[in-house]
This record gives sequence, C-alpha cells and structure tokens, in this order.
Amino acid sequence: MTWATPLIAGVAAAVAVPLLILLYFLKLRRREVEVSTTLLWKKAIQDLQANAPFQKLRRNILLLLQLLMLAAVLFAIAQPEQSTTAGIGQRNIILIDRSASMGATDIESDGSRTRLAEAKLQALDLIDAMREPGLLDRGEDAADQAMVIAFDTTAEVVAQLTSDKNLLRRAVESIQVTDAPSRVKEAFRLSQAQRPQRFVENEGLDRGPPFAFHLYSDGRLPDADEAIPAADDRVLFHVIGQQTAANIGITALRAERAYDNPAKLSIFVGVQSTDTIRRTVDCELALDGRTVAVREVSIPAALAPPAGDDSDGSRTPGSGGIVFELDMPDGAIARVRLDAGSDNDPRADVLEVDDQGWLVVPPARQTSVAVVTDGNLFLADALAGMPLARLDIFTPTEFVAARASGRADIYDVVVLDAWLPDAEAPASLPPGRWLVLGAVPTGPDALVDLGGAGPAQIIVWSRSHPAMRDLTLDALTIIESHSVELPEGSGAITLAETQLGPAIVELPAADSRAIVVPFDVMSTNWPFQASFVLFLAQAIDYLDRDAADAAAASGAGRLFRPGDVLTERVPPGAQDVRVVPPSPQPEQDLVPSRDGRVAFGPIRGVGVYRLRWTGAAGATDQRDGDRVTRHFAANLTDADESDVAAAPQITLGTQTAQAEQFGADEAVQRFWPYLLMLALGVLMVEWWIYNRKVAV
Amino acid sequence: MLRTPNPSRPKSIDELLDSRLISQISHLDVSSRKIFAGKLKGERRSKKRGESVEFADHRPYAIGDDLRHIDWNIYARLDHLFMKLFLEEEDLSLHIIIDCSESSDCGDPGKFLFMQRLAMALGYIGLVNLNRVAVTALGGELATDEPREKPAGTGSVFAQFPVGGESQGEGSASSSSASGGTGVPPVSLHAIRDLRGRRRTQDLARFICALRPGGSTDFTEAAKRIALTRRGKGVMIVLSDFFMKEGYETGLRLLVGRGYDLFAMQILAPQEVEPDIAGDLRLRDVEDADQAEVTITAPLLKRYKQTLAAYCGELREFCARREITNLSVRTDTPMETLILDYLRQRGLLR
Repeated sequence: MTWATPLIAGVAAAVAVPLLILLYFLKLRRREVEVSTTLLWKKAIQDLQANAPFQKLRRNILLLLQLLMLAAVLFAIAQPEQSTTAGIGQRNIILIDRSASMGATDIESDGSRTRLAEAKLQALDLIDAMREPGLLDRGEDAADQAMVIAFDTTAEVVAQLTSDKNLLRRAVESIQVTDAPSRVKEAFRLSQAQRPQRFVENEGLDRGPPFAFHLYSDGRLPDADEAIPAADDRVLFHVIGQQTAANIGITALRAERAYDNPAKLSIFVGVQSTDTIRRTVDCELALDGRTVAVREVSIPAALAPPAGDDSDGSRTPGSGGIVFELDMPDGAIARVRLDAGSDNDPRADVLEVDDQGWLVVPPARQTSVAVVTDGNLFLADALAGMPLARLDIFTPTEFVAARASGRADIYDVVVLDAWLPDAEAPASLPPGRWLVLGAVPTGPDALVDLGGAGPAQIIVWSRSHPAMRDLTLDALTIIESHSVELPEGSGAITLAETQLGPAIVELPAADSRAIVVPFDVMSTNWPFQASFVLFLAQAIDYLDRDAADAAAASGAGRLFRPGDVLTERVPPGAQDVRVVPPSPQPEQDLVPSRDGRVAFGPIRGVGVYRLRWTGAAGATDQRDGDRVTRHFAANLTDADESDVAAAPQITLGTQTAQAEQFGADEAVQRFWPYLLMLALGVLMVEWWIYNRKVAV
Repeated sequence: MLRTPNPSRPKSIDELLDSRLISQISHLDVSSRKIFAGKLKGERRSKKRGESVEFADHRPYAIGDDLRHIDWNIYARLDHLFMKLFLEEEDLSLHIIIDCSESSDCGDPGKFLFMQRLAMALGYIGLVNLNRVAVTALGGELATDEPREKPAGTGSVFAQFPVGGESQGEGSASSSSASGGTGVPPVSLHAIRDLRGRRRTQDLARFICALRPGGSTDFTEAAKRIALTRRGKGVMIVLSDFFMKEGYETGLRLLVGRGYDLFAMQILAPQEVEPDIAGDLRLRDVEDADQAEVTITAPLLKRYKQTLAAYCGELREFCARREITNLSVRTDTPMETLILDYLRQRGLLR
C-alpha cells in the first residue's frame, strides 16, 4: 500500500478535521427563542432523555458519521494504491529488444505470437502499474516516470522520460521487430545521457534518483558486459522466450570465385542449430529467382554446458556447413533458404529471419593488363602465366599513341618498365593504375630521386599489404639499387626497405594509384625467384581491385547486416537516386553528397536492397534503359542472434541481472473511488438519520 | 408560546367588548353551584331565608321573632302563629383574577388580550346582574401614564388608594406589593373591588385596560393574600396559563376555601399546544430567563405534547378533587363561542 499524495491529504486533514469539529461546536450556538415557559420543554427533554439512553450518542452520531465521511474523503485525497508488481521505480527505463531474435515465435505453441509482442505486452503492463500523478499533486516527483528505448544494433529513444502513460503506451506499441542483431551497450549509454544532470551547490553533480532498468529481451546480448549502469541503478531482466527454443539459421554466407578460374563460383553456407537433437534440413539455392540446387545438410545437436560451468548455462549450438559450387561467369543474385520444417512444427524453428540469405555475386571479372617496355622478356613471360583477360605489350611510343587515341582506357593496370608517361603537373603520373618498375616518378606527392646507389638487400617488408602477402624477399639481392626518399607530408607507403631506404613504395594519389619499384629488376636476382611472379600477380591484383572497387569484385562490399548503414559511392552525375528496400519497406529518395556518396540506413530488414539512379554505370551495375541498378544484400548471419535460447541471466559490466519471470504484471489498484463511494454512502446515512430526527 | 410581537393594548371598553357581544351577553348571569349569602341584599336568592318578596316556607313562631313576618292569614285559619319565611336575595361576589405575569404576554392571538377581554366580558355580566365584581391582577403593572378620561367625581380610581390598603367601600381599587418571604420575588397585586351595577362598567374597563403584563408571579403568595383579603362569598375565576414553576397547587388550595366557587380557566395559546418552532434552539423563559437548549425533533415535539397533555390532566384532576371547575381555553377560540356556549355548558354562566 502506497500513498500517492500523502502530504496533501495530511494538510487537508489538518485543515478539515478541526474545521468540522469547530463547525460542530458552532452549530451548537443555538438560536434564542423566547417562550412563555420552559417548564414543559424541560420536562419533555428529561422524559426524552430518560426514555432514550442513547440520546447523547445519537446526537453525536451525526458528528461521528461526518468524521467518518471526512476520513474517507481525506484518505481518498491521499490516493492509496497497491501495486503487486515489484521493482517499479520512480524513474524507469524500459529497454525493449527489437532485434531479430525477438521475432522468434516460441511464446505460444502455435507460433502465433512473437517475443516482441510478449515484451510489449509486459512493458504495457508495467506502464499500467506505474504510479500516476495525483489529482492535486502534479509535481515532478508525484508520479513514476518512464523512458522507452528500443534497441537492436543501435538504440533509439522512442519516448523520453515522461509520466504520460498514453505517450508511453503509444511508444511501446510503435516498436517493430527488425532483422538486426542486438547490442545493448548503446541503449544503456543512451539512457545515461538522458539522465538529468543537475549541479547542486556543495554537493556536486546530482544525478537524480536512480534508474530502474526494465530490460525486455531474450538475453542474447553479446555486448552486455560493456553496458555499465550506475551503481545505484537496478536492472530488472524480464526474460522473454524459452530457454529450450530450437532454431536453425544461416550464420555464414559467402561467395567466392576460384582464383585460377573466376568463372567457378563457390557459395559457402554456414548453418547453426540450437535444437537438442541432430537435425537434417534442406538448403535451397536460387539464382535470380530460379532454384538451381537443393542440398541436405545435417546439423549436430546443441551441446549442453559441461557440468560445473558457472557461466550462463546456455547450450553450445551445433553447426554445419554446405558449399554450392557452380560454373557461373555472370553476376547474379543468389538466395539461400533453409527449410527446417517449421511449416509442420512451429517449434522446430522459431526464428524465420535467419532461414534465408542473399548474396550479390558480381560477374567473373578478369584483369586487362598493358605492359609498356622496350623489351623485357622476364616481365612478359611472368605475366603470361597469369589468368588475365587481356595482356598487351606496347613500346612507349605505341602506348603514347594508344593513350592519345583512347585505346589504352580498356586496360585496368599498366605495367611500366623503366619508362614514365607524361603527366600534368603537379601529378607525377597520369590517372590510372600503374605498376612502375625501374623508374622513379618524382614530384611533391611522389618520390625524391636520389640517384643510383650500391648493392643492397631487402631487410624489411610489409607482410600484411595485399601486394606483398606471402612474399619472401630474404634472398633478393639488388646489385645496383636506386636510392629514393619520401617527401615530407607525402601519402606514400613504404612496402619494402633496404638498408639504404625505401625499396618498394605505394603511391596513392587522387586519381591514380601506383606501386613503384625504383630499382632495375634486371640488375637483381629477383626474376629468377618465385616471389617475383607472386609479387607481380598480387600487385596487379591489388591495383586492379582498387580500381574496380575491390570489395565489389567479390561481392563482399555488397553485403550488409541489418543495423548497418548502407553507404555507397555512385558515379559522378548520377541523378534521381533511389533505394528500393525489400518489401514492405518503402522506397526512399537519396541525395548524393558532392563526391557521389549516398547513405541509407540503418538497414532494418534482411533482403536485397537496390540502389537505382540515372546516369553512368559502374562495372558491375545492371543497366535497364537509362536506369542503373546496383544490388546489395542484407543478411542476419549472426550466430549469437540465431541462438535464440533465452538466457537465464545477463552479466552487465557492473552487475548481474537474473531473469525474472514476473508474469503478467497486475495493474496498480487504486482505492480512492471506493473511498469516495464510502464517503457518499456515509453522507446518505447521515442525511437519513438527520431527517429522521427532524421529520414528524 | 412565543412572545406576542407588538401586542395590542386595548384602550377602551370598545376594544374589549364590541357592542354585538354586549348585546349577546347582557341577558347572561353568573351562576354558582351554591347560592351564597351576600352582604347586601341583591338580586340573588339565597338559601338563607330572609327578607325578600319570594316566599320560601313557614315555621312556627318563636318568642322574639319579628312580628312583621307572622302570617296572619294562617293564624286566622289555623289559630296558630306561623312565621313566613322568604328567600333572601343577596348579592354575589364575582372575583376575577388575571395572571399578569410576563408569560401571559405570549402567543398569537395573545393570551393577555384574551384574558382582558374575557375578564371584561365576565365582569360586565357580573355588573349588569348587580353582582359585586372584583378584579385582581397578579403581577404586571398598571399603566398610569396613559391619558385617561377621568370618571366624574371619583378622580383616578387607581391612584387614590394607598398601597396595600383594604377597600374602603364600594368601588375601590388598590395596588399592593409585598414580599412573600425571603428569596421570593415581591408579589405585586393590583385590584379593583366592590364594583356593582352597570354604571361601573367604565371603571372596570379602565382598570382592565390599564393592566400591563410583566415580571413573574408568586402564585402561592398572591393566592394567600387574596384569600386573606377577600370577603363574602361568591364566584372566583382565575385566568392563567397555570405554567407556574413553583406549582399552582398551594395557591388553588388557598383560594378554594372560604366558600368561594372557584373556576380555574387555563388560557393557552395555540402555539403552546402545537409548537411551530424548529431547529436547534435555546429557549428562554420570558419570566425568569431560564434557558433550555433543545433540538426540535419529531420525538421531542411528540414528547412535548404528551407532557402538556399530562400537565393539563394533572391540573384537571387536581381541580376535580377540590370541586374547582377547570376550563382549558385556547386563545383562538372566539369570545362569543366561549361565553355563549362553552362557559354556559360548564355552568359558569346561565
């Protein structure tokens, strides 16, 4: 039993009760009437009093009834209320997980209700149970306040801290499940940011009353230990969902083309099961809407935690995988779908969103390379073994002519052997991708040529750079090295160094990219080593990737997760840019920034997103009349999210919140209407008694 | 019940008795259950045989008898001397006592005015029948300041007699005041006495008109004084509400002696019989300022009526035991009805 406005009732009682008693005494100040004699009246009164022993009590019964009525009214003013729900604080932060796993349908056996629906119901019950502001006391602390934050990967304040229950209800009801994984840390940080910070003199920063966090989630929160509520805050974990919920989902999806044969496409599908038995499911692959393969995949049962494990006690899901291998040089949109038999038994697979995944597979793309040399056999031979679309050998004169006529534009990478084309100052190289051997482009954003130097040995090289990966340059001996220096403030990256200075340098510029090997390869023993061929291949590959949007080449750049922001650069001059998300999300117009960058998101649902515009098309874009379409795929592929078993507890940064099964919160019971009814009843009884006394 | 607001004080006989009533009551006479011997030979037959024209009986002559009353006709016939006995006609003393205490000045119609008019009517009846009429006011006072027509030859009938003085003959009025004892309010009595004959009607009217209610009365003490001072025999009428805290019993007992035929007329205002007050009240007694706090409720009103009925019943029973005729009259009773019907039925008038 709590009192909403005890102070006001106290004040009212202090005023009203003495007033009533005073009025009662005042009432006894009788009207004076002169009568011929009081003899008979006194006798009558004596008789009456003698006859009615309760006469005195009866006279006072009106006062008693009035006091009773007043007490009822005063208690009503104090607004007693009883709430059976534990844990409602003065300031409540309602955190509702709207991540993909909250779409699991393990609440009802027929799968008709999602976890989010259940969470919303419980949150609404909580809101109902909150203290309302009193009829008279509308102060800040008179009522419980709550803030609603919905979170998946990102967190969003749906309703600010308020005591307006209608607002809170609408906010909770507006929350929709997304396909994004859950991250709770941001939600906590957001709530702390909403905490009113008041500076109180001599006391320091007053953070206001502690928060009560009501976390409605299934507990699949990988970053829970990074969430740090304040020490005096309470975290109540309202667990939603079953600990035994079984789900089969795609946790990994990747497409890869064979290095030696880009037409060969491999699609890897990682599958995970949280069921307690081994499951065999069908995995279906469709390309551009046509089913091309169905494979059966068997997934082992989830492992129960070993005895003595004092972690959260959740099972380790079983995982499996499947690879589809296809011969497909063209690009396509691949769709992978698991059929876990949830049509027959909704409990066999409670989460639907992770049962399918999409991939945007770019067409097999091979590099065109031009070699400009006065006759370097090693170079031509080394490149001839590579899987290139095209390899042409030019002399510098021919190349200048080809450039002038525009024929050189088809080459992705140009290998310059001891020759440099003219460039417009201040650029050291013309636009394009260059692998420069035995020459030094000079300039403020290039290199400073210090001339020839003596023999040298590579002593250190970058092993992580894509062009230098897996190279062994220990055995490389440079007879006649070329000493260069990186100008100050240059963006050049040293890939390998001799004891004399940089030996291999990458020169990134605004519209050109080059890897420069200053020394003459012919004056080294490098051409006789395997690392030379590897270097050439990797350098050309690296430069080419860079040219054609390396990520897009493998399709990796077109993969997103719900919750990510889709950022993409459209060609300059693109107009009428629209993003077409998978239904039912609406299309949206995007305005590219000055460098052609557009952003959309965060992405809410899984599926294929299409970015469409009018204008120039990129290498992998589809052109449909004057409209250009670029595809993106958003997949969940999150092992944590697909593991839908509800966690029995959450370990936060500062405290551990046990799952609390509150059940249906009972609404707060208010007694003031009953008290007012009682007051009315007493008033009527008093009126009746008074009239009975007066009436003849 | 309540004090009469702006009570009307009659100034002349016309306001006390209208001519129609006078004509109606002129033929009435005061009746007595006993025929009393009077001092003067009046129009009334007395049981006492005496000198009158009306024959009563014969008796044998005895030596010493008045020879004038021997019936010579009988002697001639029977040769025996018989005395003729006549019914002596004597005058009746009619004594009206008006309770002039403050409580009389209550009610609507006012009890005091009612008593004045009743006393005037009865007094007039007594006067025209040659009865010896006396009026005594208990308590109250005489308004002497009012301009009044002087009766020819007599001067002010009220001022000329010393306080406490006995009557000096026919047609005297007196005022007396005496303390009836320690702790008892002084008894003030105003009286006019020994009026006889129609021509004293104006004197009677003047006296009655001059009466003003006020103060309280000690009925017992007053009755004692009246009983001591009255003479002769006759009819005594007490006009009062008999709401006497000290009790009416002793006073009535004192008055009923000495051969007076006593009529106790209880004059009650309608508001006293059926109170029309309501609410939480502090009732104040107009006489002694005694207070009673009451909350008028239905049971209380019922109880009051029961008490009043019991009180009147006690009075009636008390009177019945002592051969006092008790009459209870409401002030809203028309005077004609009261005198012509009610009092005749009860035997006061005939």
